[in-house]
Amino acid sequence: MSEPTPAPGTAPAGTPSPDTRTAGAPALTAFTVPTAPTVPTPATSGRRAFRPLRAALWAAALAVAVAVAVAVPFYLEGFWLQAGLFAMSAAIGAIGITLLTGATGQLSLGHAFFLAVGAYSYVSLSSDAGLPTPLAAVAAVAVAGVSGGLFSPIAGRLRGAYLGIATLGLIFAGQHILFNAEPVTGGFNGRPVPPMELFGLVFADTPELVVLNVPFGSLERLWFLGIVLLAGAAAFAKGVLRGRPGLAMNTIRDHEIAAGVMGVPVARYRAGVFVLSSMYGGLAGVLVALVFQQVVPDYFGVLLSLDYLAMIVIGGLGSVAGAVAGAAFVSLLPQLLTRYSDALPLVAEPGSGGVSPAEAARILYGAAVVAVVLFLPGGLAGLATRLGRVRLKELRWAKSAPAPASRR
Amino acid sequence: MTHRLGEPPAQLTRRLRVLQRNQPVGTVDGDGPVELVVSEVTVRFAGLIALDAVSFTVAPGAVHALIGPNGAGKSTCFNVLSGVYRAASGSVRLGGAELTSLRPHRVAALGVARTFQNIALSPRLTVRDNLMLGRHRLTRAGLVSAGLRLPSARREALRHGARVAEIAEFTGVGDVLSAPVGLLPYGTQKRVELARALCMEPRLLLLDEPVAGMNGGERREMTALIRSVRDSLGISILLVEHDMGMVMRIADAVTVLDFGRRIADGPPEEVQRDPEVIRAYLGDFGDDHSGGEA
Amino acid sequence: MAVFLELLVNGVSVGAVYALIALGFVVIFKATEVVNFTHASLLLAGGYVIARLHPLIGFWAALAAGVAAAALVGALVEFLILRRARAGSRGVPAIVTIGVDILLTTELTRQIGTEVLALGDPWGDRVLRLGPITVAETRVVALVVAAALIVAFLLAFRFTGWGVAMRATAEDAETAALMGVRLGRVSLSAWAVAGALAAVAAVFLCVFPTPGLDRGTAAVAMKAFPAAILGGLDSTTGALAGGLIVGVTETLMNGYQSELAFLGRGIGDAAPFLVMIVILLLRPSGLFGTKEPARV
Repeated sequence: MSEPTPAPGTAPAGTPSPDTRTAGAPALTAFTVPTAPTVPTPATSGRRAFRPLRAALWAAALAVAVAVAVAVPFYLEGFWLQAGLFAMSAAIGAIGITLLTGATGQLSLGHAFFLAVGAYSYVSLSSDAGLPTPLAAVAAVAVAGVSGGLFSPIAGRLRGAYLGIATLGLIFAGQHILFNAEPVTGGFNGRPVPPMELFGLVFADTPELVVLNVPFGSLERLWFLGIVLLAGAAAFAKGVLRGRPGLAMNTIRDHEIAAGVMGVPVARYRAGVFVLSSMYGGLAGVLVALVFQQVVPDYFGVLLSLDYLAMIVIGGLGSVAGAVAGAAFVSLLPQLLTRYSDALPLVAEPGSGGVSPAEAARILYGAAVVAVVLFLPGGLAGLATRLGRVRLKELRWAKSAPAPASRR
Repeated sequence: MTHRLGEPPAQLTRRLRVLQRNQPVGTVDGDGPVELVVSEVTVRFAGLIALDAVSFTVAPGAVHALIGPNGAGKSTCFNVLSGVYRAASGSVRLGGAELTSLRPHRVAALGVARTFQNIALSPRLTVRDNLMLGRHRLTRAGLVSAGLRLPSARREALRHGARVAEIAEFTGVGDVLSAPVGLLPYGTQKRVELARALCMEPRLLLLDEPVAGMNGGERREMTALIRSVRDSLGISILLVEHDMGMVMRIADAVTVLDFGRRIADGPPEEVQRDPEVIRAYLGDFGDDHSGGEA
Repeated sequence: MAVFLELLVNGVSVGAVYALIALGFVVIFKATEVVNFTHASLLLAGGYVIARLHPLIGFWAALAAGVAAAALVGALVEFLILRRARAGSRGVPAIVTIGVDILLTTELTRQIGTEVLALGDPWGDRVLRLGPITVAETRVVALVVAAALIVAFLLAFRFTGWGVAMRATAEDAETAALMGVRLGRVSLSAWAVAGALAAVAAVFLCVFPTPGLDRGTAAVAMKAFPAAILGGLDSTTGALAGGLIVGVTETLMNGYQSELAFLGRGIGDAAPFLVMIVILLLRPSGLFGTKEPARV
């Protein structure tokens, strides 16, 4: 074990006290801010050491993923593109709710409300207020964030189920407003959604656009927008979770009082994460509005909030990759069942006595939630890490530690 | 705060306290070790008096032990000092700053760090991550700068990561930095808790039963570590402990609580002979039932 | 004035039914510290069984069967699923109940389809005249039955061995277990009782003015959640108070709909939640809930 390099600017290590555990163990000096940045060594740099082989593998995987993502609109038909876009929107929303409920431990049944705020704000700001659509989209996300901020003092005072049911109230309030404020929301029938116009490109079926001999309609164009938005949203969330805020959030979830005692301003963090999560919800709402080209109040009800909770549980609470995986599972399942309903024995059209695809999907992922909680804690993401590096690390530590403390 | 004629009624005082909890934090004077003055602190829970006008002083740079039978109010006292419980009356001053009605994170900002009786670490996170939480009040990266991975956030993480590694070395957990905390032995976890408290660069360290659940060898090591913390860093230390041997070995002064009241206060040898104290412990006092005597 | 009294009586009656549902919710929470989001589907299950069976075996037998069925479903959920989920971190069991709820509710609403199933109750749409006000008979019966059940429940809670075991477990499960209380039995019986209460509540929710059990019934049952929360999740008195507050609020809001038209149609559905939020702002643990002292 080498002696750690003292940070430049501090005095060299003081005389070791005679009672220290091993002779020559370093004494600790007071911390002063170093004038020059410390040269990072593998032991001191960030949370993971840099390993060239792993980095190369990750880069290769990323390249493949990008290639596939770019190729999809050229090969798959509209049905799959719409399903995929829908899954992307769900993924963005799921990342938001996993930050709030998974990472920070604040159960929210109200996520659908913020999707509604985002979707309807986009429609209203671009149709009624005449804002250019990209600006309307950004503003819609901001409005969702502000509404989250308005609710956050309430959320800050409540814990557990009290918070969960209070957020359920948001859904009911939202539904009430959506059905009644007809001039703005179009009431029961909803309103059509103006297509996005970015840098002169209109994300609709006209004007016609042909790329590499493939006609690019609204879905094909939106596909790339969706990928960019999802990638950005995921990267941001990962940054938050890996850095200082993520630690604070996890501690608020696991030991709220200890977090405060450690210096984390708990109330401020809970409010901040609530706002962030509602912005993610707003963005998901905007995307889903663009994909469906119509917003209706029925969509943004309790079932949607429950869907999101199912997504993050199945994917793994508090994990960005898990949120995306869970969102893909929950949102693609009904589409798959619809598509292949002829081939599947039970699945049939609604009202004909069989199980409709939507119902079958719900039953399946309700069961999946139960199964995951009972048999696969940590969800899909937990499964992945168990098969990966962390397992090896754990095995290494488990061997060296004679009596491991009980795992929570 | 004793009630005198002409004093505002209790509700007004309470409301003033609520406002005070969010005031900008006063400064703790000076740079060296600080003095903690607890005076006439009373804590009530639904009719039960948990602490009754308790007063004691931790001298700057001293190791001060707070002992007493179970239920005497020691943890309650710690919780008041950390800002978790609100005192019904009395005051706590650290250096020049009044601690009494501050929220926990403001108390932490004044330089008070603490370990917990039941370890409050995140078991799925690594030791390094748990220690980095201790740096929270010294770092500034917020949701936006972390999410955008701004260079300032990354530089900050590197710098403080280096210091965390230093502290980990000092407390003897340097070689398990990458281990998930939940897998480590209990004694090591307690050490990690102490290291995390040190990562806050505190002026006052509150240790809640630092050697509970440890065997004899581990206790000796922990005692030595605590002493070297005091020697190297000049931190004032207040510890709650049941292990009398350890207390006698390491404490400069001892305060004894029983049923929420202070029954003795002074150097360890004096307190050990105090008849009140012996009576409170009902004769358990002399034997080292915790089995840690060198 | 007569209108107001009528609305009040109706509100109290509906409130008593909500209180029944909320009581089941609170019983489960007290016994197991689990927040039960499956409750609406227990109600639906009980009502469905009654609806299907009453043409075959008459109302009272069907009622007994429905109560038994709902109790059985509750017990099964506890036995098969929740016992295993308890080992995880906090909040995990709540999410499991959400999953079970999605499962059960979807399947039951599928069975109901687009039909509206009558429950075959003997009171139908007969009305009673009490002085200046007219009240549906079922409402009066609902109030009487709910009140009787709640009182019986509170008495049992206080004076029977089962009630003591339940309260002991709610206070401190570990100590109760050490004192000989069979925790498994306590939680099983809590879920069974909750199911039974929900089934009875289903009868009263689905007879007047709605003509029967349909897909929307689960949503109606959800109004019991704010009732339980605003009263305090761990307080039986709170369930009672919460149910009454929600019932009266909803009925008054719906009754004075024309005067309150500016608030929008259907304000009665959202109003209970708004009242709940206001109460939670003042008392974050509900009106009668216990504030958890910080335990560090």
